[in-house]
Amino acid sequence: MLFGLLCVTFAISHVVPGDPARLAAGPDANDAMVRTIRVKYGLDQPLPVQFGRYVMGILSGDLGESLRSRNAVRDDLVRFFPNTFELVALSLGLAVVLGIPLGMLSAVHKDTWVDHLARVVSVSGVALPAFWLGLMLQLLIALHLGVLPLGGRLPLTATPPEPVTHLMLVDALLRGQWGTLAQALRHALLPVVTLCFPALASIMRVNRAEMIETLQADYIRSARAQGFSGFRIVTRYALRNAMIPTLTMIGLRYGWMLGGSVLVETVFDWPGIGLYAVNAAVSSDFQPIMGVTLLLGTNFMLANLLVDLAYGWLDPRIRRPSTA
Amino acid sequence: MSTVWVRVSVVVTVALAALVVAPPVAGFERAGDRKILVFAGRQEVPTLDPSVKYDWSIRMMQQALYDALVKYVGNPPEIVPWLAERWESSPDARTWTFRLVRTARFHTGEPVTAEAVRWSFARTLRLNAGPAWMLSDVLNEDGIRVLDDHTIQFTLTRPYAPFLSFVPWWYVMNPKQVLVQEQGGDLGQKWLTDHEAGSGPFRIKRWEQGVLYEIEAVDGYWKGWPSKDHVGGVILKIVREAAAQRAALLRAEADIVEGLSADDFDQVAKMPGVAVPNYPGMTTFGIKMNTQKGPTKDPNLRKALAYAFDYEALIKIYNGNAVLQTSPFPNATRGHVTVPGFPRQDVARAKEFLAKSASRQGGIELEYVYVQGLEEERKLGLVLIDNLARLGLKVRMVPLTWPNMVARGAKVDTSPDMMAVFTTPVSTDPDAVAYQYHKNSWGKYYGSSFYANDDVWALIERARTIARWEERTPLYAEIQKKIAADAPEIFGMLANRRWGMRDYVKGFVFSPVRFTGEVDLYPLAIATK
Repeated sequence: MLFGLLCVTFAISHVVPGDPARLAAGPDANDAMVRTIRVKYGLDQPLPVQFGRYVMGILSGDLGESLRSRNAVRDDLVRFFPNTFELVALSLGLAVVLGIPLGMLSAVHKDTWVDHLARVVSVSGVALPAFWLGLMLQLLIALHLGVLPLGGRLPLTATPPEPVTHLMLVDALLRGQWGTLAQALRHALLPVVTLCFPALASIMRVNRAEMIETLQADYIRSARAQGFSGFRIVTRYALRNAMIPTLTMIGLRYGWMLGGSVLVETVFDWPGIGLYAVNAAVSSDFQPIMGVTLLLGTNFMLANLLVDLAYGWLDPRIRRPSTA
Repeated sequence: MSTVWVRVSVVVTVALAALVVAPPVAGFERAGDRKILVFAGRQEVPTLDPSVKYDWSIRMMQQALYDALVKYVGNPPEIVPWLAERWESSPDARTWTFRLVRTARFHTGEPVTAEAVRWSFARTLRLNAGPAWMLSDVLNEDGIRVLDDHTIQFTLTRPYAPFLSFVPWWYVMNPKQVLVQEQGGDLGQKWLTDHEAGSGPFRIKRWEQGVLYEIEAVDGYWKGWPSKDHVGGVILKIVREAAAQRAALLRAEADIVEGLSADDFDQVAKMPGVAVPNYPGMTTFGIKMNTQKGPTKDPNLRKALAYAFDYEALIKIYNGNAVLQTSPFPNATRGHVTVPGFPRQDVARAKEFLAKSASRQGGIELEYVYVQGLEEERKLGLVLIDNLARLGLKVRMVPLTWPNMVARGAKVDTSPDMMAVFTTPVSTDPDAVAYQYHKNSWGKYYGSSFYANDDVWALIERARTIARWEERTPLYAEIQKKIAADAPEIFGMLANRRWGMRDYVKGFVFSPVRFTGEVDLYPLAIATK
């Protein structure tokens, strides 16, 4: 699957108009300068040769070099991906932590004010563009109220912790830099809330719908008849069954958030992979584009694998081999 | 609620409150006793190597970290001595000799010698990238001679009067420092991407690619500092969203911002504590027309378009912060003349020219290509639609990303009928603009007209070989008139350069030869009350 993704990305990157060598050489470069770059990066070779070289490079851990910055793409991904991962993980975590209980509450108190309020939240989350929400939060909370920073990961003059995992929050924890950790969390709050909101809405809606259906099932009615407490029925019996579609949604959301974090990254100057990819795309810098695609594709596959494994944990019927 | 839950709630509430309590907004950043200026810019600095690349953000940092033999200063821009204390050229503008100051030091403490200058020029020529195009046609490595430790001579392959005008962009590197970092014969390219080997007023402190770039002032900079309040360092913070830039300026989290829209600049100018320097620049905006293919091949149609266009709309789009071109050359270019009868909107005249053209029946559709997302260019497309409808001509607006637009304009067969282009000349010498109309510029974004006029080309080639300015002047006047007469583009306007600045930022010196957004960081100071 990854190889297929690689083929498609390579083909698209190379058929779109635009001469990467000319762009890398600069607007005033003469033909000789453009030729120099073309030869240096093998862009003068036939496409199958370029592709072959690229695949061989990947097999040896070399993702190529950015034409724009001359940096190794691998180094860039190591620098930028952990930032996006942290943003997405925190946002998705928050969405799950809030979305599932809200979905449950909404289903249990169907057609009451609790349900109506939760539905307003969920409709807003789906309807409001993250970009707009981010700007509004930034203007209101950061600019006018001045209680949170406008953007970035740390204050300008703060020194980031020495990288261990390249995840800033984790590194600050591991290094015991509590002040840095608190600053990093303050800077993360608005982008996390912004990115979390649409995911929260989706998770809540799916969970609510599944819970409503599950709560009407026969086995739930039996459980009620047997005198189990409402809390136990909802959390122990109904939620487990309702979680399978919710889990699918969480897995999908992870992929969407990874690919779609660019708008939030732009608003909050969050140095993530989305911005890196967009900058590469507008410069026809195809090595980083392919590197990002490969990395996100791998992540998406891993996330779906985890979701598949979790199905088995939630529902024993799935992990039991079929007897048919 | 149990006591435990109450305690947990209190702890969580206090922790959250501590998290969101903002520190007081400082006027500017400080690092120890150093005053740090924060520049919120939208463009990254992908490389610092002076031999490899330049654009406004790269050059702003290169200028801060490196010195050149001479430097552009002021408005109108003047070339002033820097690493070279004086220079002379031979009467035929072929041999140029520079005498270096003896006090200049690299950041390592080693003296800046003629050998370092020779090596730096040779390196740029050998890598054949970045600024190499400026001199590679007239200078080769053999032509650079070290006469003594502090004297260097350039012998060009042919007389070339604009030579000096390009020298400010050829920065001098410390060869000893670079060569120890060489990898596989790359002349230190990999290392110089995010390191420096210069003698400039600043040195690198922190380099977080795509996030922020911090430089600190060199104590005891060999040239001295123009003010006792000079900045102790500069952080170029990448802020890509205009609303975030504006908010950062208003909250004094940024001291200078660039790249806002005309409306945003007008808005922040009204805010207390914010100043908006506003100067006419050298960047021209024009609508290049394909002079060799399609309907715009016909000079009468091109002239009809030039007379149909509403030039005042250009000024309105920039809220009055622009001036119309009066010649193909920007006003700050040496030798600029106001060309008599330069096109302004005159619909009757436009119709006269249209009647003489092959498209006299109207009904044709012209393609207008512009940069996707550039609001000003989109608005101008709408103006064109309205203006050309009066001639019975239709306009199809085609937004393209910059790489795709450059690709379209690179070949005569694909170059669109009309293409919106901003162009900033790299020097104040008229050759820098005139050469955009030479056949050697075909294929570059500013050569997308594929303009052809043997007389003009001959004049351009002749003018660049004459040393005496008095003899060059009439030739450039002639060139401007001839180009205007051929109407290879709708010559538009020069948008003002603007920055948003906190009012405690002092010492800003504007020079139109710098690129859009670029600021000379050396004279900047922060006034403390």
